[in-house]
Amino acid sequence: MARENIIEIRFGSEIQHVDLVHSVCDSISAHIGLDENQALNLGLAVREATINAIKHGNRNDPRKKVCVHFRYTRNQVTVSIRDRGEGFNPEATPDPRLPENIHRPSGRGFLMMRAFVDRVEVASDRSRGSIVRLFKKAPGRGSVRKREGSPAPSAMGG
Amino acid sequence: MRARIREANTGAVVKLSGKISVGAGDLKLEEIVGSLLESGKKRIVLDLERVSYLDSSGLGSMVACQKAAAEKDAELVLLRPTGKVLDVLILTGLKQFFAIFQDESVALAGPAPAEV
Repeated sequence: MARENIIEIRFGSEIQHVDLVHSVCDSISAHIGLDENQALNLGLAVREATINAIKHGNRNDPRKKVCVHFRYTRNQVTVSIRDRGEGFNPEATPDPRLPENIHRPSGRGFLMMRAFVDRVEVASDRSRGSIVRLFKKAPGRGSVRKREGSPAPSAMGG
Repeated sequence: MRARIREANTGAVVKLSGKISVGAGDLKLEEIVGSLLESGKKRIVLDLERVSYLDSSGLGSMVACQKAAAEKDAELVLLRPTGKVLDVLILTGLKQFFAIFQDESVALAGPAPAEV
């Protein structure tokens, strides 16, 4: 079974931290062998979830913390972004592609998250805030390891 | 985000590079376009060829710039979006919202948009 690593970043809700989170995500993507396009996709999804947590979850209140938790192996990465806001229903967010919404300056973050990772999960509670979980596989590792004679990595859970 | 501005009669080309993203790039873009509109420019071309990516805040700024231009009877158009920038425009349905051009002189002159 592939060894699991965890990196957690906790910070006050200020937008200046978004680039830091994105940088850490890029480093992890390189570490697990995501190619440039996959790494940018994951980075953008993490970026959007972090922006949402700061702006919409914690309402830019620097006293409220955002926690970004990276859990990764050579085969996959899971990123959990937690805020301390009042929760939300992702199914209730309007489709930004509809003609009545296309002029809106915001509301595209979730669409981008869903497009750029393999799976998005949301757990939301009015009293405890929201957790957005992003799942991304690292394709190609299995075939490389097989050629090297190593055992094939275990399949991604979930 | 970095920006180089070239003014041409009633229009301007804003050559952008780097990322258009939350916190700096998005606000700077609105400031640049706002300033050009205040100076009376009627056609603003955002050259995106060297933009590596934009996030939802960057997209929101571009939409806000377009609305600001429309309020002044001006138009904001896009030039040569590529890679992830084009992916995101297609994903969000904004490829149809903006006029997109491949040629700078055509973008400044303003006939029908070219297919990307």
